[in-house]
Amino acid sequence: MTVQAHELSKDYEYGFHDVDISVFRTEKGISPEVVAAISDHKSEPEWMLKFRLKAYEHYLKRPMPTWGADLSGIDFDNIYYYVKPAGEQSRSWDDVPASIKNTFDRLGIPEAERKFLAGVSAQYDSEVVYHNIREDLEKLGVIFCDCDTGLRDHPEIFRKYFGTVIPPNDNKFAALNSAVWSGGSFVYVPAGVKVEVPLQAYFRINSDNMGQFERTLIIAEEGSSVHYIEGCTAPNYSSDSLHSAVVELIAHKGAKIRYTTIQNWSDNVYNLVTKRAIAHENATVEWVDGNLGSKVTMKYPAIYLMGEGAHGEVLSAAFAGPGQHQDAGAKCIHVAAHTTSNIVSRSISKGTGRTSYRGHIKVYPKAHDVRINVRCDALLLDEESQSDTYPYMDVNSPDVTIGHEASVSKVGEDQIFYLTSRGIDENEATALIVNGFFEPFVKELPMEYAVELNRLLALSMEGSVG
Amino acid sequence: MITGSPPATPAVPAFALSVEERIATAHGWLRDRRQAAWDAFSTMPMPSSQRDEDWRRTDIAKLRLSGFRPSDDIDEPLVNAIRQRRDQGAADAALMFDAAPVTRIEHSDELTAAGIVLSSLEEAARLHPELVERALGAVGVAESPFVALWNAMWSGGAFIYVPRSVHAAVPVWVAHSAAGHRGAAFPATVVLLEDNSSLTLVDDYLSAAGLNEMFSDALTIVVAGRDARLDHCVLQQWGEGVWHVALHRTMLAQNARLRMFGATLGSRLQKAYWEVMLDGPGAEANISGVVFGDGTQHLDHQSLQAHRAPQTTSRLKLKVAVRDHARSVYSGLIDVERVAQQTDAYVQNRNLLLSHGATADSVPRLEIRANDVRCGHGATAGHIDDDHRFYLMARGVTAEDADRLIVHGFLDDALADCPHPGVAALIGDLLERELEGNAQAGIAVVDA
Repeated sequence: MTVQAHELSKDYEYGFHDVDISVFRTEKGISPEVVAAISDHKSEPEWMLKFRLKAYEHYLKRPMPTWGADLSGIDFDNIYYYVKPAGEQSRSWDDVPASIKNTFDRLGIPEAERKFLAGVSAQYDSEVVYHNIREDLEKLGVIFCDCDTGLRDHPEIFRKYFGTVIPPNDNKFAALNSAVWSGGSFVYVPAGVKVEVPLQAYFRINSDNMGQFERTLIIAEEGSSVHYIEGCTAPNYSSDSLHSAVVELIAHKGAKIRYTTIQNWSDNVYNLVTKRAIAHENATVEWVDGNLGSKVTMKYPAIYLMGEGAHGEVLSAAFAGPGQHQDAGAKCIHVAAHTTSNIVSRSISKGTGRTSYRGHIKVYPKAHDVRINVRCDALLLDEESQSDTYPYMDVNSPDVTIGHEASVSKVGEDQIFYLTSRGIDENEATALIVNGFFEPFVKELPMEYAVELNRLLALSMEGSVG
Repeated sequence: MITGSPPATPAVPAFALSVEERIATAHGWLRDRRQAAWDAFSTMPMPSSQRDEDWRRTDIAKLRLSGFRPSDDIDEPLVNAIRQRRDQGAADAALMFDAAPVTRIEHSDELTAAGIVLSSLEEAARLHPELVERALGAVGVAESPFVALWNAMWSGGAFIYVPRSVHAAVPVWVAHSAAGHRGAAFPATVVLLEDNSSLTLVDDYLSAAGLNEMFSDALTIVVAGRDARLDHCVLQQWGEGVWHVALHRTMLAQNARLRMFGATLGSRLQKAYWEVMLDGPGAEANISGVVFGDGTQHLDHQSLQAHRAPQTTSRLKLKVAVRDHARSVYSGLIDVERVAQQTDAYVQNRNLLLSHGATADSVPRLEIRANDVRCGHGATAGHIDDDHRFYLMARGVTAEDADRLIVHGFLDDALADCPHPGVAALIGDLLERELEGNAQAGIAVVDA
């Protein structure tokens, strides 16, 4: 039995794009003038302009990362750093321009909203155009808006936390984002408030050569809890696009934040994202991170366990089809005692696709009674695919228990045989095994995401068995 | 886009004199090789924990090569101590002293009678240049600054050649040693195993206990032909002032098999590469080791299992115990090339931290480009399990003895993989002394 590679036979499912209706955009490329123009266009306070310009300097100084995926294809001068779509920010679905609505219709957003969503903050290019929060959440004091609105309407909270988890000089792409950021979500959950339904935002890139630099900031006060879902899907374009987001989470004492992402950028997008959380005493932070799309993804959701009893979870799933490189992973930094973390990574490579797990575990000297478990498994579907594992572990405290296990294998012939001997054809058998492999990830997703993920996987797996 | 140019290699005047002499006295290809290596070394920056991934966790900024000169000859008490150690580990072994200025060989008659060549590497380069050239070809002249320096500087050295279908009846024990404050040694073991031959080899790095600052830049090259078998033990017990940089590389042809066991106990700082190239179908490597660090020792092991042919198998198990302020760094790579289908490879690194202040880093990496493979790794770090301690103490064992028993048990699991029982027993004794806490790095030398 041989397993062969086939190109995806279908066009990218969401690879349509509407006629560009942007009303304002900066010139291509980046300069202090472009950065100032973005800030000016948004009528931002002086401190944010200074923050952006300082970040721009860091961006110039920081080296390109050379330790990971090949980023030589990014042409920084050929990117629009800010594009504002037509129409003012809308409160009601009826006010959203028809062409944009059309895009969301194809993504199934209104339906999702009708069902159970608390709020939909749909990012269309760089500006949030549609925004809705159920009134009961507002009554509880929960803030859920785009980051631009957060800066304007909630300046005290915003300024207190913005850029504190990921400083602008953290790395080159965080610096770039800090200079030109636009849109993204701002979530504030007051003490003791438990947000029962997931907050959700759909992001799309819709303008050729558009960089998307959204910025998300989530603060969960003492004893509160929130689940935020970010889903991405982008239309297919001929020239390379850049997506470089910064996501900061702060979980105060006893709070819980779960952040779920399904990344399905079209296969020309460079997806270079910095995600980091701080977990204070007895707080829990969970990253559920799925990477299916993009040309290159580099993303390592991090949790700094700063308070005693904090707990971190990272659940990562990656699929790399032909030409894709998913360089994903997780970081758990144990600063305080009695902290625990758990990392589970599952990745699949197909065709010339390459998945890399890159992880970092660090235990500081004073962090005693620490428990960490890491499990990464990779599946290679054919002879051209590649998988790498780069786990870094720095243990500076003796009172720890750390386990790390990794495996790389192909779909077992005995598994296929078992299924085919029961009348299931090879294609379906492989798809079943792949679905089973992703099961720990999929079971953590809300229903419609799980359904969509399974559909996308089935599509990617088509014709993978010859 | 790193700003500023890397610092140039510090001047090495003491070496420069002896390398000129070595280049001048060498002939033909060897002279060219030494010259090329020296030229390369002179332009290469020293590895930096800021720039080089391999050296990120091992900082050698304090290693000033300009302060070193070629090692003194080792004295008779040390020679006798080495003989006693060989007697304890493998009394029947032929003994080669790789120490400046000339290599001494003892008890080699049985092996040479079977057609096995045991000589200094210098002599072999004169008498069997084609064999030496073939073996040295397994390592690039200037793969790294330390390899370049070694290629320019080595003298004496041990060369072992086992002809086709010859099985070495007794082990070969190569003792690499050095003496004198600020002495530099360039230990060399070069082994050629022809098809279907076999050998048991002990590479033993050691010096007298004491504070002498020394520098050891070591290379072991093994080229094993089809169906050849090598059992290889590597002991490192340098004194506590020694910087030890080493590359051990074994090339395995079709169905060749390596069993390697390393015991790392000594030195102030070590960076050792344990590399195996599985070049022929069916080649197999089993690598295992124990590491015990105390005081402020820094012990770095970097492994490579390069699967470059189908149906190859490799296993690596490294068990590390660190105490006081010692630091262990383990990094390793299982590299599977596209042609290497049906590869079966596994790495296991287990770390036991015995004190606050002791650290263990672990970076077991996988790069897999073939799909029909079984590859994996496991890494753990932890302290002594309170339940285990309680269990022993409930049976009347003191807390200290309980801890010692537990560490012993932890390391014995790997020690059981040592291919030579006598060497295993010797290492067991050395570990016992380390655990008792009264062992100095290096070996005790008693004046006769």
